[in-house]
Amino acid sequence: MTPARFLLGAATVLTALLVQTTMVARLPLPGAVPDLVLVLVLAFALVEGPLSGLVTGFVAGLLADLVADHQLGRLALAYAVVGYVVGLLEDDSDRSVLLPFVTVALGAAGALLVFSAEGLLLGDPRVTFGAVVRGLLGSVPYDVVLTPFIVPAVGALVRRVDLDPLRR
Amino acid sequence: MRGSRRLRLLLVLLVLSAFTLTALDYRPGESPLDALRRGADTVFGPAQRALGGVARTVGGALGGLPSLGSKGSELADLRKRNQELEAQLRQTEDLRRQKAEWDGLLKVKDFGTYPLVPAHVSAISRSFGFEWTATIDVGSKDGVKEGQTVVSGLGLVGRTKRVGPYTTVVVLVLDKDFAVGARLQRTASFGITTGDGGRGGTMTFELVGQKGELRKGDVLLSSGSGTFVPGVPVGRVTAVDRSANALTRTATVQPFVDVTALDLVGVVVQQPRGIPRVPIPPAPLPSASPAPMPSATIRRP
Repeated sequence: MTPARFLLGAATVLTALLVQTTMVARLPLPGAVPDLVLVLVLAFALVEGPLSGLVTGFVAGLLADLVADHQLGRLALAYAVVGYVVGLLEDDSDRSVLLPFVTVALGAAGALLVFSAEGLLLGDPRVTFGAVVRGLLGSVPYDVVLTPFIVPAVGALVRRVDLDPLRR
Repeated sequence: MRGSRRLRLLLVLLVLSAFTLTALDYRPGESPLDALRRGADTVFGPAQRALGGVARTVGGALGGLPSLGSKGSELADLRKRNQELEAQLRQTEDLRRQKAEWDGLLKVKDFGTYPLVPAHVSAISRSFGFEWTATIDVGSKDGVKEGQTVVSGLGLVGRTKRVGPYTTVVVLVLDKDFAVGARLQRTASFGITTGDGGRGGTMTFELVGQKGELRKGDVLLSSGSGTFVPGVPVGRVTAVDRSANALTRTATVQPFVDVTALDLVGVVVQQPRGIPRVPIPPAPLPSASPAPMPSATIRRP
């Protein structure tokens, strides 16, 4: 990994987190809100494969944990696991136009379910059946809407800074 | 793919680290990872504070858009002129809004004589919609502690939770983990108000006892139980649950504060000893002049 590639990862994750917490989370949207950071992690996984998805997911999740009110490591686990799995999916199949949308939808739902499952184990009062269903219906569609903007942008940025991405 | 075994090893390693962090952080109270939070706070705080101001301005501009679009299409030049004027207005409006927020906050301070620390909301965290928490730009260096009441000019905003040196995480009234003891303004009946976790932007009020009477439009005030200060407006009852078999009576409450449009808030940094009291003036002697009696009735809020 080149220093330029490392800087790209750090800069995009930090920007996404700041925009998410200061602007996106305030939007008075029906349902929940889109998760910019998660879509960014999934985009890295789709463009570069499981290693990139895993590492970006862990770091981005940990940073998101730091500004939220739950135990550290919960979002880190959720983002890292779906980053890894989505990276694997991308590795095995040939590219199609719909693939990013489907994988982002599955990844977003998966991350929410991992986060909820851990919440259930820890006895988090916020994790109820209704809240999980509302989260799935309310946030996954927004994440899918963000996909056509973020995935190509990440692809272009990665190609620009690094001709030999993490995958090979 | 490069080193599939190494990749799987890394996966296991990171998953175990995440579990370890969660386990270390699980115990309530002081966490060994608070130092990590304080570090992130020192780095993130200033950036969030700066961006929060931008977000408020952008949000205000977006809020004005629908009214611009609804004007007649044939009045193109009038519309243009109008837009120019509105652009000018928006700047003054932002100042006026800020002034109104300060005025509101000062009124709260006068009402309860609570020492307030003013703060700006810099970030909101939702975590898939499970949470409703905000980060404000004051911390332990400003005298903020855990469990203090956060208010705005309109009413109750939330309760401080994770306190860093420069910023604090506030659990907002809509959060599922938020609960406050509240009294009906009209009858002084006591109950508990909890956040609905964002569903419909409402809270649920549960009346303690069988006799209390709940009506649509009733106003709820914080009762001063726990670490909350008394007398802060919480919200208004919008619907009463009439299920026959319920042991307690519940109602849906619309909070007075809109948590998506928060800017200036105040943290009550010092708990008053109780409901602030004013001495009742002594009754005038019978021989005194027939001036009207000084009002000695205490109006309960």
